[in-house]
Amino acid sequence: MSLTPARTGDAFATDAEVLAESARAARELGLHQMGVRPTLRTYIVETWRRRQFVHSLAISKAYAENQNNYLGQLWAVLNPALNAIVYVIIFGFILKADRGLENTVAFIVVGTFIYRFFSDSVTAGAKSITGNLNLVRSLHFPRAVLPLSAVLSLLASLLPALAVMLAFIVASGYFPNSEPVPITARWLLLVPAVGVTYVFSTGIAFMTARAVANVPDLMNTIPFITRMLMYASGVLFPIGHYVSNPVLTGILDYQPVAVVLNLARQAVTDEPNIPLDPVMWAVGAGWAILALVIGFVVFWRAEARYGRE
Amino acid sequence: MSDTEFSAEEIDFEVDAEDLPDAPASQTPLGAPSVIVDDLHVSYRVFGSRGRPARGAAQPSRVQRLITKARGMDPTAGVTEVKAVRGVSFVARHGESIGIVGTNGSGKSTLLRALAGLIPPAAGTVYVSGTPSLLGVNAVLMKQLTGERNIMIGGLALGLSVKEVTERFDEIVDFAGIGDFVYLPMKAYSAGMSARLRFAISTAATPDILMIDEALATGDAAFRQKSRERIDEIRQQAGTIFLVSHSLASVKAMCNRVIWLDKGQIRMDGDVETVARAYRRFTRSGGADD
Repeated sequence: MSLTPARTGDAFATDAEVLAESARAARELGLHQMGVRPTLRTYIVETWRRRQFVHSLAISKAYAENQNNYLGQLWAVLNPALNAIVYVIIFGFILKADRGLENTVAFIVVGTFIYRFFSDSVTAGAKSITGNLNLVRSLHFPRAVLPLSAVLSLLASLLPALAVMLAFIVASGYFPNSEPVPITARWLLLVPAVGVTYVFSTGIAFMTARAVANVPDLMNTIPFITRMLMYASGVLFPIGHYVSNPVLTGILDYQPVAVVLNLARQAVTDEPNIPLDPVMWAVGAGWAILALVIGFVVFWRAEARYGRE
Repeated sequence: MSDTEFSAEEIDFEVDAEDLPDAPASQTPLGAPSVIVDDLHVSYRVFGSRGRPARGAAQPSRVQRLITKARGMDPTAGVTEVKAVRGVSFVARHGESIGIVGTNGSGKSTLLRALAGLIPPAAGTVYVSGTPSLLGVNAVLMKQLTGERNIMIGGLALGLSVKEVTERFDEIVDFAGIGDFVYLPMKAYSAGMSARLRFAISTAATPDILMIDEALATGDAAFRQKSRERIDEIRQQAGTIFLVSHSLASVKAMCNRVIWLDKGQIRMDGDVETVARAYRRFTRSGGADD
């Protein structure tokens, strides 16, 4: 600190002077350090500033997803519909895993549509860094944009699919052994139920994005985790009827994936076993916020390391 | 490393002599430092095989292989740490246009990526002003999307708003000279077209620091002329340019300073003529004089 020039303009006239005290020079010249993690606050502000980027990337991706087919965007709807049909046939009609349900078809259809959105989000989040390395390696922007847009893109495809889901539910009333589901104002609750699912899925996508970016091997474990969660969350059958241990039932009922499925079913199915329950909504909102906060912080902590090969 | 790869005849293959003026880039007074690189070290991880000894070489016995595997040192599934940049320091100033030369694998691209904040340093620090924009060899952002969407995504990533990108859209397409191809997926583009579009996107926002990594090599003469003018413009607006190129002619035409990297370290740093002459002598001798 022996240099005390009269004017700052003269302070770092030669390169040697600059390098001798690079940190002070950078500070006085208003340069910022590269390759270091920004503060959490800066990171949130920066990510928020790129919200149009998140949106544009999500829409482009949702569109690009199906453009190599003859039926194009129709697949965004056909895919989850075929998925639901497969499970309805196997678990609803062949295995008759419908204990205590009045309308098995509606139960399975809601389960598969909503769960599919969640599991696709986990997978898309996991691939969001590794699958966009071109972007990551050429442009400098908050990487949180990538998992955010991956899940938003799935939400964009989910919305038309939900119309098909509701059509399935109405149609299921005409099936044998199924009680018709009345269309009531309660169906509007599907909007917050999907909202909670979306927020929760985004939080988990942040976690898987970081995990797979750091340890690519983990990508191989994701299909098993989502499969396991599917059977443990009562997507296809009311799991409570197969488990008698009260502690285990409590865990299985209040774990986040089961809760978000329960919320959607509260809204659009008419099962006496799935009544409107404010506690479930509070638990669901709590899980969603917890997942988002933890996921975002976990993702941010590795910000400087994404894109290293 | 093979000598033939850098033979003197090949060095200037991409530029026709009449493309570029003999005089070096125009001299503008240098401003305050815009980039400070202080003892930078960068290493990166490479996943996958480090390779087994070729057939005929001594193979480890089955037992030895089992032991290395059990200790998590399976040579075919390992991670290798490559030290690409080893202790580089320099200062770049506003209005400066710096060429970076060196043989393949000398750390040029890695250095640029570290300057752009795309790879964190293993040690040392990089300070820059503003947001750097890196124009890499792989010019496509998202090849399954149309040029139109790539313009939007690239512009937004650089921090422009939707409105600003829309305003500059025609200008970008014009500059890239791709016409109606802009409405086709970028996978249908030629290498030159992709490079032109990416260059147009990257310079649309007049970056403080523009880094170009071999991205001009695929362009034709007309495009090189246009990009040279654009680079001069950015420099006059007090931007700083880094240009990695194998073509000494490009470097001579566009830069007013050259850094010669060799095995991750600065071998020479100075005015274009001096460094270019020394580097040419080095490559003519087959790069084997150390």
